[in-house]
Amino acid sequence: MDSGKTLCSLLKAIQFQECAVFCALPEGLKLTVDEGKCVQASAYIPSDNFTEYHVRDDVDVIFKISIAVLSECLNIFGSAEESSLKMYYRNEGSPLLLVLQPQSVHNVMTDCEISTQTADSVLELRDEDAAEVAKLVLKAPAFLGLLADLERSCDIIEIHLSPEHPNVSIVTYGMQDRSCIDVPKSSDMVQSFSCEEPVTLKYQLHHIRLIMKALALSTKVVLRCSANGLLLLQLKLEKEDQRQMFSEFYIVPLLDD
Amino acid sequence: MKFRCVMIDAGPMREFSNIVATISKLSKECVLRVTAEQLYFIVCDENNGPTPPVLWCEIPQALFFSEYQMVGLDDEHKDIYLEVISVNLAKSLVTLKSAKSLKMKLTKKQCPCITLEIESPSATSQQMRHVTHDIPVIVIPRMRWSEFNEPKIPYPDISIELPPLKQLRTTIDRMRAMASEVVIRASAEGRLTLQIRTDMAKVSTRFKGLTVEAFGGPIEHSDSETETQINEDMSRICTCRVDAKKFSLFLSADQIAHNRTVCSVVHKKLVILCLQTQENVKIQCFISGIVY
Amino acid sequence: MKCHVPGANVKVLGRTVHALARFGDELYLESLADCILLRTLNAAESAYAMVKFNKNFFSYFNYNYYSTDDNEGLKCKISMKSALNTFKSPTHMDKQVENLEIKLDAEACKLIFQLKCKHGIVKTHYVSILDSKAMQAVYTKDSVPNRITSPQRILSEALSNFQQSDDQVTLEATEQSLVLRNYVDLNIEFTKVIRSQITLKPAEFDSYTIGEETTITFTLKEFKALLGFAEALNLPLQLHFETTGRPAVFIVHNGSTFEAHFVLATSKPDSATQATSTQNTTKAERSKRKDKSVQDSVRKKPHLETDTSKCLDEDSHLFNFIDIPEDENIPTENGNDTKLNNVRNTIDDINCVDITNNSQAMDCDNIPPSPTSKKIIKSIFKRCFESTFDPRAIQGVVLVENSDSE
Repeated sequence: MDSGKTLCSLLKAIQFQECAVFCALPEGLKLTVDEGKCVQASAYIPSDNFTEYHVRDDVDVIFKISIAVLSECLNIFGSAEESSLKMYYRNEGSPLLLVLQPQSVHNVMTDCEISTQTADSVLELRDEDAAEVAKLVLKAPAFLGLLADLERSCDIIEIHLSPEHPNVSIVTYGMQDRSCIDVPKSSDMVQSFSCEEPVTLKYQLHHIRLIMKALALSTKVVLRCSANGLLLLQLKLEKEDQRQMFSEFYIVPLLDD
Repeated sequence: MKFRCVMIDAGPMREFSNIVATISKLSKECVLRVTAEQLYFIVCDENNGPTPPVLWCEIPQALFFSEYQMVGLDDEHKDIYLEVISVNLAKSLVTLKSAKSLKMKLTKKQCPCITLEIESPSATSQQMRHVTHDIPVIVIPRMRWSEFNEPKIPYPDISIELPPLKQLRTTIDRMRAMASEVVIRASAEGRLTLQIRTDMAKVSTRFKGLTVEAFGGPIEHSDSETETQINEDMSRICTCRVDAKKFSLFLSADQIAHNRTVCSVVHKKLVILCLQTQENVKIQCFISGIVY
Repeated sequence: MKCHVPGANVKVLGRTVHALARFGDELYLESLADCILLRTLNAAESAYAMVKFNKNFFSYFNYNYYSTDDNEGLKCKISMKSALNTFKSPTHMDKQVENLEIKLDAEACKLIFQLKCKHGIVKTHYVSILDSKAMQAVYTKDSVPNRITSPQRILSEALSNFQQSDDQVTLEATEQSLVLRNYVDLNIEFTKVIRSQITLKPAEFDSYTIGEETTITFTLKEFKALLGFAEALNLPLQLHFETTGRPAVFIVHNGSTFEAHFVLATSKPDSATQATSTQNTTKAERSKRKDKSVQDSVRKKPHLETDTSKCLDEDSHLFNFIDIPEDENIPTENGNDTKLNNVRNTIDDINCVDITNNSQAMDCDNIPPSPTSKKIIKSIFKRCFESTFDPRAIQGVVLVENSDSE
């Protein structure tokens, strides 16, 4: 990879847990972290982001790694520096090897050996049987603006989706106050909206806020709600070289008593 | 005891402000020693009682000050030693970067003070601003002067040029986030390697093609602590394990315009970082090695 | 009350709320026939702020929208946090917000702030009304000997020479110069603190009249807040002050739509304790004060002097359902009226009468929430969390063997 910079910022965006499951698939790299079994976040880097990419297809290349250490290593020459990156992994139990070299300075390089552990099974929050009840495509910066405006001290966020106006309504409750943000589907920030039946979903605001860092890097976000309330957010990050990276978040709803 | 000096040139004022700012990052308190020829900032290890200084900074007065007058303690002891909270001094000198002149003097106002009179143009009007800061100091009695003598250091095994401090600092700071200690390896072939090793990761950053100013080898390696790399002659490599934070703090000196920085290593015992500026300011930092 | 604020002015309102938030924790809002007043008082009662928005600040203005037969406007108190939440980032507000509607929901005891933003987004904040009184301080700004008009940046530039840790500033005003010093508390060991001073020449100011040379000391936190306000709105600052111990009044106005008064208590530079500075506060009219102190002597805190601001009393008794007479600007028989009203209000508070018919009850149409009830609400929420959290962790989760999930 010519520059590990975008990869590094994407990892930082999902770095709310110490360890991530690192999974190298023929299609690309995927790193996944879980937060208290309520939020699952993944960074997905399609293989075309790499100048060279080889994965053995006869075995699963999957292991657990400290995402904090990995992002520190990727950032060893600082965030201002574009540095080329080579990554190697032999087999289960062996460390992940990184070789980094800054583009602007030639007399320096860094080797890293990051220890890996056998991965536990990855949490599957998706329920294949639950139907999708709503799908929205939003502009990421505008959505981030809305989330940033929500009162931090609130615990719960309610999202109302409806085919009727206002199509999207986000409600938060403070100590004594209630705030409500209405977004009609005609809004510039809504690129597509599909919802047949009105639906109300409740989440912990703290869980929703976890996506903000990734949102800041992205251009577009797809929200999918399934019948069981599970929220899936798919974020698309567009790099200068026209290549794309993705992150996705599964967020488990709050259930009423 | 008398001390009074004036600075009117923008360059030295900016530099003086940067020097004091760097020192304030390294230590809460410092000693200002005033002699007829030089100003010294001296920092001792705060936690370890009277120990040799860890930072030694010399500023030749002639290149900085347009006026400089001082009268020492008495005829025999011609210096002045003052203990000052370095942050106080640094904060008061921040505005020096855009100032027109600085007058610095030793005064007695309720307690001994260094009084700074800064004259600077206002950003919003045509007027000159006169700002006065009185910074309380403690006059160090004669009997304690010996604590602040220049440290006697063993002859270094190697002295090697440092890569750009800013770059080095970024790397050290990443390493610091992962480990508290860093191993410095300097080779007679002009390579400088920084290594950390934790349960989680081994990271090593190698700089090559650096000028070696002096090499006093061969070095004897008695144990297997240092990892050999193929094709490396261990007798030409010096190592020292130091506290990553102390190292990083010194590197914040990159804001001082310098023309030379050298890292000297006494194998396994001491790392001396030395920065020199055009105006012959010399800042030396002594970081003792950690041995298990 | 109902009013509309056009987009450009929302920013001004936002800046105001942010400045007032640096003063006090509660925001008092009062609507009169021709203006809306926002007021606050800091906890130490050494600083008070009042911002008046004239009718022409608004694109639509009806001060008593819900009452038909009376000229009674709205008087209410809301938490500063709620207000801040409504105006989160004043810097960008003018770009995002097209219009703001503020109205009273009398039934729900809520003040509604509805922001119509770009992209068709509508943000509505339902802010609880904590109380329905007005708070007012009385101070002199007109017949004072010392007046300075300063371009907004000069003083903040001067203050940049002081340390972050400094909490008070002393102003030494003479005909020749204005000297700013960081106030050094004698209780603090003076061997540790930097003493700084900066001298400003009268020529730096737009106007400079010192009729009575004096030295005043006041708090820096609020001073910085009001300087920031003047700077953000790019308006000059007027200083009106008398002598040591008398409050200093700082005025920022744009000549037409709004006027802000910031009142800071001053103390002698050598007085060491905070008590002295609050004691010298003249936020409320003294005669009125005495009246009240006789009347409310039972509730009076013993250590407070007669001129302690009434607001502390108000606050500490908020949940006792006791109303305190309003401070009126011009003490006429009107004052007596208010007192009578308040007696009624006390009763009304409990009955929560329909205010559309009875506008007198306008300023008492709610039951102030008590601290205990707040706690209950909070713990209910908390319980919700716990009960949903646990089952989730077990039930919502299907553990599957790892597989290619893309």
